[in-house]
Amino acid sequence: MINIFTWASILLIVLMLMLVYRIIVGPTVIDRIVAVNVIGTKSIVLIVLMGIIFDRLAMFVDIAIGYGLLNFIASLAAAKYFKKHHRIDSKNITATEHTAKGATNGH
Amino acid sequence: MLLGIETLLLILVLILAVVSLWIRDLMSSVVVFGAYSFLMCLIWTGMGAVDVAFTEAAVGAGVSTVFFVAVLFNTTRRIQFNPLDLSAKIFSAILCIGTGYLLMLGLSDLPSWGDPQALVNTNVSKYYIESAYKQTKVPNLVTAVLADYRAFDTMFETCVVFIAVLGIFMLLKKDGREPLKETSAKANDNLIIRVASRFMVPFIQLFGLYVVAHGHYSPGGGFQGGVILGASLILVAMAFNIEFVKQLLSIKRMLLLAVIGVIIFAGWGLVPVFLGQSFLDYSAWAALLPGTGEIMARSHSMLAVEIGVAITVMCGMYGIYMSLVSDGRFDKGL
Repeated sequence: MINIFTWASILLIVLMLMLVYRIIVGPTVIDRIVAVNVIGTKSIVLIVLMGIIFDRLAMFVDIAIGYGLLNFIASLAAAKYFKKHHRIDSKNITATEHTAKGATNGH
Repeated sequence: MLLGIETLLLILVLILAVVSLWIRDLMSSVVVFGAYSFLMCLIWTGMGAVDVAFTEAAVGAGVSTVFFVAVLFNTTRRIQFNPLDLSAKIFSAILCIGTGYLLMLGLSDLPSWGDPQALVNTNVSKYYIESAYKQTKVPNLVTAVLADYRAFDTMFETCVVFIAVLGIFMLLKKDGREPLKETSAKANDNLIIRVASRFMVPFIQLFGLYVVAHGHYSPGGGFQGGVILGASLILVAMAFNIEFVKQLLSIKRMLLLAVIGVIIFAGWGLVPVFLGQSFLDYSAWAALLPGTGEIMARSHSMLAVEIGVAITVMCGMYGIYMSLVSDGRFDKGL
């Protein structure tokens, strides 16, 4: 019973794979925040699609509304954090850089 | 049919879990955890566990990332490298691998997912599925089990939320009123955020009340609704400032309401004791509520109990955010 909704869900998850690539590679934190926000937007659609696949849309649409209402709060918190700290690193801090980066933290 | 979707999602979750450990910037780690939470919600939705998925949606999107950001706001984003000597590294590696091995060992004894022959699915679930609607007239079995059959567990979960907020409040609370040196005159002058929040907050709160009240028929209930209501207060605190949100719900009143929520739950369960029934046996409420039989008394009692949970959880989320973001001073925040 693979219908168009199942294919649409799989397509959305494949698109999520690209966003996960952006989360892993993303040079700055801002790239990652945007990628996570887009994953949230895709989740809303995916939950509704799953509701159609399960044929119980009324049970699933509440979760989608909840996401739609609350999705931006975490991004707003991150944005306010960067407004107060005035510092977005252009370099990706990875496990390979074991240098004393802690000393440069200024706030 | 859904198996392909779930496998893909599980792979993504695994990748994100590894990435959140690998990234050395704590802010990025928090953001990756946000994505992790979204995907876990989708996996639970795919399993058909809508109530769990709703909890994950409300907590993951609404409050948990905000709590992490609030902690980083008052501490630092950087990991301070603590150069361990080789023996300590080997010891911790053995400890981690050993614990992981034991967990995997325990995992092998669990019944496979959806196994109809598993003990849980033959005895307990069968009883709930056959008798829950007959005994309580609540179509959403999860709510019936949570708020009626297993009300004792839920009552203590509410107490745990209350103890958590009390613990964080008392740990971080500062008595001195020394003012912070940061300039906050320009901090909250963003017109777009203020106007958008003023527009969004009533809808979020209305939806939260709907989730609390409609838990009998759809996923949701006291906990999810309480988190959504708490998230709306957090949004007000971020869009305006802490002084403004303290006028709406002061810290003293927050603690008082959290206590009242627990008292509503426990008190509602205590009343049947005086009527000669056992603790949390809601059917005794039929004698007090006019025009209700024993079945509808149980149904209405669930709503009352959910309201108690919602009040405690709302105040809990609000109190934890306020304590974390202002470092226990309750004067300035994000």
